[in-house]
Amino acid sequence: MLTTLLLLPFAGALAVLLIPANYRVILRLVALITTGITVLQALSVFFAMQPEVAGFQLVEQAAWIPSAGFNYHVGVDGLNIGLTLLTSLVAFAAVCVSWDIEKQTKLYYFCLLLITGGAMGAFLSLDLFFLYFFNEIALVPTFLMMGIWGRGERKFHATYQMALYLTLGAMLALVGLASLYAASGANTLDIVTLNAWLAQHPLSSSSQRLLFPLFLFGFGTLVGLWPFHSWAAPGYAAAPPATAMLHAGVLKKVGLYALIRVALPLMPDGVRTWMPVLAVLCLGNILYCGWLALRQRDLALLLGNSSLAHMGFCFLGLASVSVTGITGVVVILVAHGLLAALNYALVGHVVRATGTSDMDKLGGLLRPMPVVGFCVVLAFMAGCGMPGFANFPGELGVLFGAWDRLPLVVIFAAWGGLLIGGVYMLRAIRSLLHGPVRAGLEGASDAGVGIALYWRSLPYAVLLVPLVFFGISPDTLVRRIEPAVIPIVKAAAAPSSPTLDTKSPSLTSLSPR
Amino acid sequence: MELVVTNAIASAGPAYSSRPEDIGWFILALPLFASLAIALFLHRNRTLTLFFSVGGVVTAFFLSWVLFFTFGVTGLKAVPSPFPWFHAGGLHVNLGLAVDSLSSVMLLVVTGVSALVQFYSTAYMKDDRGFARFFASLSFFTFSMLGIVLSDNLVMTFIFWELVGFSSYLLIGFWYDREAAADAAKKAFLTNRLGDFGFLLGIILVWSLTGTVQFDELAAKLKSDPHSLGVWSSVAGLLIFCGAMGKSAQFPLHVWLPDAMEGPTPVSALIHAATMVAAGVYLLCRTYFIFQTTTAWPAALAFLGSISALDIIAVIGGGTALLAALIAIQQNDIKRILAYSTLSQLGYMVMAVGVGGPDAAMYHLTTHAGFKALLFLGAGSVIHACHHEQDIWKMGGLARKLPVTFRTFVIGTAALAGFPLLTSGFYSKDAILVAAVRHGHPILFGLGVLIASMTTFYMVRLVLVAFFGRSRTSSAEHAHESPIQMTWPLVVLAVPSIGLAWLPLGDYLTEHFFGAQAAGEAGGLFGPFNHAPLAATFGTGAIIFGAWASIATYWNAESDPLPRSLAFWSRVSRNRFYFDEIYEALFIPIQDGLAAVCEWLDRWVLSGVLVRGVHGTTELAGRALRMVQTGNLQTYTFLFVGGVALIILIAL
Repeated sequence: MLTTLLLLPFAGALAVLLIPANYRVILRLVALITTGITVLQALSVFFAMQPEVAGFQLVEQAAWIPSAGFNYHVGVDGLNIGLTLLTSLVAFAAVCVSWDIEKQTKLYYFCLLLITGGAMGAFLSLDLFFLYFFNEIALVPTFLMMGIWGRGERKFHATYQMALYLTLGAMLALVGLASLYAASGANTLDIVTLNAWLAQHPLSSSSQRLLFPLFLFGFGTLVGLWPFHSWAAPGYAAAPPATAMLHAGVLKKVGLYALIRVALPLMPDGVRTWMPVLAVLCLGNILYCGWLALRQRDLALLLGNSSLAHMGFCFLGLASVSVTGITGVVVILVAHGLLAALNYALVGHVVRATGTSDMDKLGGLLRPMPVVGFCVVLAFMAGCGMPGFANFPGELGVLFGAWDRLPLVVIFAAWGGLLIGGVYMLRAIRSLLHGPVRAGLEGASDAGVGIALYWRSLPYAVLLVPLVFFGISPDTLVRRIEPAVIPIVKAAAAPSSPTLDTKSPSLTSLSPR
Repeated sequence: MELVVTNAIASAGPAYSSRPEDIGWFILALPLFASLAIALFLHRNRTLTLFFSVGGVVTAFFLSWVLFFTFGVTGLKAVPSPFPWFHAGGLHVNLGLAVDSLSSVMLLVVTGVSALVQFYSTAYMKDDRGFARFFASLSFFTFSMLGIVLSDNLVMTFIFWELVGFSSYLLIGFWYDREAAADAAKKAFLTNRLGDFGFLLGIILVWSLTGTVQFDELAAKLKSDPHSLGVWSSVAGLLIFCGAMGKSAQFPLHVWLPDAMEGPTPVSALIHAATMVAAGVYLLCRTYFIFQTTTAWPAALAFLGSISALDIIAVIGGGTALLAALIAIQQNDIKRILAYSTLSQLGYMVMAVGVGGPDAAMYHLTTHAGFKALLFLGAGSVIHACHHEQDIWKMGGLARKLPVTFRTFVIGTAALAGFPLLTSGFYSKDAILVAAVRHGHPILFGLGVLIASMTTFYMVRLVLVAFFGRSRTSSAEHAHESPIQMTWPLVVLAVPSIGLAWLPLGDYLTEHFFGAQAAGEAGGLFGPFNHAPLAATFGTGAIIFGAWASIATYWNAESDPLPRSLAFWSRVSRNRFYFDEIYEALFIPIQDGLAAVCEWLDRWVLSGVLVRGVHGTTELAGRALRMVQTGNLQTYTFLFVGGVALIILIAL
């Protein structure tokens, strides 16, 4: 079942390769059908999985290099089940918004499906080697798409900067994985075996403290952890909508997913040493990037910074090392994935209809484009933590979960989420949609007219409906997530390993603030 | 579509078990269903829009009566089936309903006023191109408000609290292409958010100390151990009060409410009379048990000593009431006068909670909802008749031209002023004054009497200037009575403005808070004069004085004499004590300044020096050594790893 889900996008990519480049309609249809079936398959996986049960389900395994301990091993639990569904939905929506791509259509859909398959593989793989491998498969076509179909005069600089940061982050994580492989002595990177092995033979305290930052900053950079965030906003602003949707919505989540999956349960001493640091850095995301968003006059840059602020909540949840907080993080991962994809799809429409995303040149758009405008209002409301959207229960879980350990950080985070977020989102609505219509924009086209309106709004509906559904009933996600989070938090809070380095001054930072 | 389906299940599921308390889910779901149906499918069809919107809220109104008589009056315990919402770690949140005497009264208020406002709007909004959008938003607003009323836990209250903020944003900014309306909507939302910030922290604090967010569990816990909130009990209470400050527009978060008059007038009637602004007072009453815990402050606030959270709330409420009344005296826009009078009355209610009379506060909330909705809808009728003229000095002589509006408006004014024996406002206001005397707050009692006098003054001023004398403009000269859809809600609302006085509503609410033995002593038409003659006499005296002063000043006045006789105070009052200007000068620059600093850092330090600077130097190096194509990358690698190493060094 999972192998099918994983192979579907790759099969689609292969099919795209086999179709002549000038059959544009066929290419589009293949991509649309492939991602459509992927959505159905992901949905059936979502409902095939037993909620409220711990451990991996629907597991499929095959030996690959047994001597080195690398094996094909896929399975789902609470952490990745929502993310696989998210991947399929975003991919489908990304194909939907790509109907106007005329340049090198074949390569475009090939890249798009490769990113989808890579992301899906990274979430499903229980062998860390494959997790890393699939993540790289998805990253390369991302940069390619930005370079070829990107927009703006600085797109090459933005692509270059993004490629640099992400490659370096991934390299750092690779060093971490390799050291983990070498240091654990388990002779495998299989997450199940590794968990069991390290529970019996924990790494020495000092090597945990050295390894942990490699993961934290390696994977953290992939997410845009402050101060390694500069790539994100300009990168997404320069990317074509579909790429921004897939990267900001899906691929970026691999970093956080890997942190929860790997770094937390395997290195409890690293957690103890580094989480206080992360608790401070997360405010960099929430406050600093929030204030940056406040200053942006370009819609895409504003959303990029706002997205970074949301990631701050995820880092705060990690730093809380509590079941409530980390469950909240996983909810945010899914919610923010849907929201970020929705945001960039909508920006893509605004740019297509008006030729710019500069808010100083836009205004009163709600009149000519009521449907898209209303979607923007909903998306921005979700972005400033309005209940009814899935982001709210996630952020709520993080704030509640972090309170016992980090009350001061929670106060600042709540300020950032409720106030700073509210100010920049409402200012954006005010200057983009409200007020009298800007001259020359009276004829800006809405999603479509007549029947076309329905299928042109499909990508927004595909993302909005689950966003609202999980917002009203987060329990659908939470009852699946919590059983997976409990053992991770338990492992992360495990007592220190015997080779405790008592001289370390950082142990003082363990005391609750 | 999934949204609709979920809620259909949510409401249909319990119905099969035929438990009458699950009617609550229907009441909640009806306006939501109407709103979604209109927004998604029916926006082109006016008839169906009206059918769903008005039909939904009217059905909800009748179902509320069923709940009221089944559970509210009888006091039977009702526990509608809850739905799991978020259960992880120590946080357990369900979506559940609290059906009791408190919520069933409030349900009647909210659905009743909403239904009348919707009827009224069918005429008032007839020619607006956003007709369907208006009714969809109105229904959604009603849904959010009902959620607050019915919620049985703090998190669910917060959810609907925010949704009320969102739907009021949609309604205040209904005419979004007007700059003023768009700004007012934004201001209302953000000011409320400021209050919600405190509210959320209060919820988290209460949860972390008691482990629950359920009202009934919390109340039981605090009853068995009044010290379970420890030194934080008063702080927790005040943080929750922050939420009420935002929604009920208490000083210093009162600035949004007058601006919110930019919305259509029926919206003003709905939001500013019966629902949103009353939510804060309702929250205080709902969580009153938190304020009944022992007073305690953490070390940093120990200087407050024995001053309780309720004392602070009472002072803020009284201060808001006085401030708003002072401002109302010098406003000329008919809607703004009513807006400030709402502020003032809300301050009155909050003061009532603060002096230990939540029953009096709820009583006044209920009566006020009726006559304030009447006054706003009456003002809408006047504005409609005068071709959207809102300045009372450009009206005059409307009494003969708008007979129905005039008579009902006078009834509303009498009720707001608290005309003895005949109006509901007299009894509820008296209950507040009695609470202040009983619980030993003579200064607040005096303040209450003073405000009652001022209220009469500015309301009589409004009636005299707008309805008497001669018509001062041609639009007032040619005014005609509004259509029947707009006048009959006025007549309907005039009934409770008088009739509520004859129902034992006050006793009913007293029983909810303080048990059966406390209730029953204030009964009877002449009750106030019998059991607490001091309060009743002072109250009546205040009205007579206020009315006399106003008639003496404004009878047949052509312009306002006060700006000449009291120049300075008049100017300050007219400019609303400069609060908007002060806030604009203080808070906005701080936030924007911090943002500017961050942007500067990002541009010049992070991207500038680190990325571009390095880019530049490496480019130089790259030119020197043309063979080294990867020069940049290495430098970046170096810096990156170096930075990480630095952080590791600092941390270890």
